[in-house]
Amino acid sequence: MKMWRLIACSIAIGGMGSAVAHHSPAMFDFQKQATVTGTVRIFQWTNPHSYIQLLVKDDKGREEEWSFEMAAPMYLYSHGWRPNTIKPGDTVTITYATLRRGGKAGLTLKVVGADGKPLGSPSAGAR
Amino acid sequence: MVVIAAATLLCACADPQRLPEWNGVWVTEGRAVNIDGFTTVGATDGAAPPALAVFSTTTPWNDVTRAKIDALMKATNGDPARGFEHGAAGWGYPLMMAGAAPLQFAITKNAVLVFNAYRDLRVIYTDGRSHMPAEEGWPPTTWGDAIGHWEGDTLVIDTIGVRDPSQYVGIAAPFSEKAHYTERLRQVSPDRIEGEMTIEDPQTLTRPVHLKLAYVRSRELNRIVLDTFTNNRSGFDGEFSTIEPPRQ
Repeated sequence: MKMWRLIACSIAIGGMGSAVAHHSPAMFDFQKQATVTGTVRIFQWTNPHSYIQLLVKDDKGREEEWSFEMAAPMYLYSHGWRPNTIKPGDTVTITYATLRRGGKAGLTLKVVGADGKPLGSPSAGAR
Repeated sequence: MVVIAAATLLCACADPQRLPEWNGVWVTEGRAVNIDGFTTVGATDGAAPPALAVFSTTTPWNDVTRAKIDALMKATNGDPARGFEHGAAGWGYPLMMAGAAPLQFAITKNAVLVFNAYRDLRVIYTDGRSHMPAEEGWPPTTWGDAIGHWEGDTLVIDTIGVRDPSQYVGIAAPFSEKAHYTERLRQVSPDRIEGEMTIEDPQTLTRPVHLKLAYVRSRELNRIVLDTFTNNRSGFDGEFSTIEPPRQ
């Protein structure tokens, strides 16, 4: 019942968006967020989710690839994102909700460009 | 006199010049989502009308359905969305009418089309036809068999033949395929459509359910971004969904 309460609470306080029709958000720990900077390998502007494949250097300077899930293009579009908002080679900093299982992946909460500005339109979607 | 009055109402349907347009992209009030796809923008109550989601504690389920829901919650550890990673490609009806996916309405003389970015599509015939003949044995579908008519500027929709919505989307309320849905939608201002939905389903409910619907015109969306699920990277490890590696 614990997870039921978590999901029900998620609905009550913030609603469940696009992806819930497709998969549960329970895989993500919204209370455990992290930030990582890396180089975009590819930006997948796709249904049912968009993804940023990010190349990140580990403690020893070795490059590792991380997967960051995002909303479907419909929702990114409503926040000012476009298919070329980020391109391979761009440096970005991503704030994400971690996976409960751990691993090199997460749910994208915020993306900041090399100039330090958040990508997309900050005011978009605020309805 | 009744016939004349009815004919007058039907004129609103027959004359395309008098039909409302409902142009633009509409978002269920309070359901605009962030770039994570899960949390809701600035909302304090972003929930779908509770009765459309299996989580509802107020829906007047009968004992059989309540037991079925309790069993589902127990089996899924309270997370009925799990296991649908490769199932649902949208919201289905009726959840699409209160979901996060923005809607468009296409109003013609003969039908109203309602659709979203996941290609959930309702074709609501307003040309006076009846539902598909029961004697032809049409099976239920994810979006049902919808007919409608205009009462002035109010679209009245009658929908039957909807497959148990929970078979398509794990969190959807498990109404039976015998459920009868009635909606009334009206644009009350340039940026707002309001409506109500009544669900009658003696097989699962002890009394009909009445819901309020509201859509606001999106300031950010000037189009529906359509595509198929070409890049489904979600898996399931038996407890949680997973993010599978990219194929490229």
